Amino acid sequence: MTACSAMDVLNTITIGAGQSFHKVYLNWSDEQLPARFVVERDASLDIIVLSMPGEDCDRAVEIELAGEGASADISGAYICGGSENVRIAVDMRHSVPGCNSRQLFKGLAGGKSKIDFYGKITVAKDAQKTAAFQENHNILLSDYARVNTRPQLEIYADDVKCSHGATVGRLNEEELFYMRSRGISLEDAKVLQMVSFLSPVMEGIQEEKLREELACRLDEAVRDIVRGI
Amino acid sequence: MANDILLKIEGLRAGVEDKEILKGVDLVIRKGEIHAVMGPNGAGKSTLSAVLAGKPQFKILDGSIEFMGRDLLKMSPEERSWAGIFLSFQYPVEIPGVTITNFMKTAINSHRKGKGLEPLKAGDFLKLMREKMAFVQMKPEFAKREVNVGFSGGEKKRNEIFQMAMFDPNLAILDETDSGLDVDALRIVASGVNALHTPQKAAIVITHYQRLLDYIVPDVVHVLKDGRIVKTAGRELVAMIEEKGYDSL
Repeated sequence: MTACSAMDVLNTITIGAGQSFHKVYLNWSDEQLPARFVVERDASLDIIVLSMPGEDCDRAVEIELAGEGASADISGAYICGGSENVRIAVDMRHSVPGCNSRQLFKGLAGGKSKIDFYGKITVAKDAQKTAAFQENHNILLSDYARVNTRPQLEIYADDVKCSHGATVGRLNEEELFYMRSRGISLEDAKVLQMVSFLSPVMEGIQEEKLREELACRLDEAVRDIVRGI
Repeated sequence: MANDILLKIEGLRAGVEDKEILKGVDLVIRKGEIHAVMGPNGAGKSTLSAVLAGKPQFKILDGSIEFMGRDLLKMSPEERSWAGIFLSFQYPVEIPGVTITNFMKTAINSHRKGKGLEPLKAGDFLKLMREKMAFVQMKPEFAKREVNVGFSGGEKKRNEIFQMAMFDPNLAILDETDSGLDVDALRIVASGVNALHTPQKAAIVITHYQRLLDYIVPDVVHVLKDGRIVKTAGRELVAMIEEKGYDSL
């Protein structure tokens, strides 16, 4: 991290022109996670936010693409197996032309957990050639868990590529049976399916050592949830 | 000889939800035998294979299945796999995010755990994989591919026979393995199955057509129609069905 990306009094991190910023936040209540990022010309932001079992959160993050050629990538995984209350709001603002953004949030909702995801993409009138994508996918593991996902697009420009996709599903029975028919136990089959579901988020972690360490923690957390189902 | 019996199905009735599909099936398979189960669409062929592999959606209404002296119906799908039952799926399932290497490593080590053995060393596992992939002429780069994702029909079936070679099962059930295969792939798959067959093992080849049975020659041929085996004979039955169709039976 360079001086240009320090958080200011307004709880904002500005990524200066041509700079890049990559960071993994281990939970949404991390004090270092600001309420707002500003990404300037040709700068790139790439952050991953994880939420492990037992952690509640209620956070809103605003990302402003403020200079041409800026890019922002925010992804997150949440693993809930108890009575967690997870509220995440992302406000992606494309203010100028020629910027890219990608949002990928994936989560497991077990126990009596409540997930609320709100993701908004705003493309300003002059922000032509914007490419903005958002995905939120959830696996519901219990009849008592709730997932509420609200994708929103507000587009004022006419030459843009934008998409959003949101799903709430269950574990795939056909996959589970296929794995079990190969001798993989039901528990391992469920863990494998959940871990592979979350892997697109985990693969975004650039530091290999941290990625492996977090993959181990994730594996254990998922296994605990499976044992509790 | 009774101890030659690998699989014994008696009075099996099974179905999904409220629908009875198998309406009383009896079948005895001895070591060393290859049985073909033929029949028109909707006869219950795939239900039979699913029930043998323990697919949870299928309900057993009556009857018994004994495999190597054990009550198969009391065993979970994974326990059946450990005991040496292998089902080659008609429609192999795609598993996004899981590579063939990771999938097979998990599966092989689950088998070993089931038998009280230590996990296979990484080097030994990779050597075994390379060997068995070459056996079904699968390109080495498939090891890194996600299981069945984006595979052609032939590649999926080859992947099934590769997995069969990895487990070297006592009873292989091939459910419509010939569907979606061109002649070359059919030959590779059939020669793989033949090479794995020994006097200690058995196979059930489920098929609608004669084609696969030109390459995997059965000892016994059954015709399944409307949930029952309506005829059992030697391999000469295959040619008769090809000529006269199922309606004549």
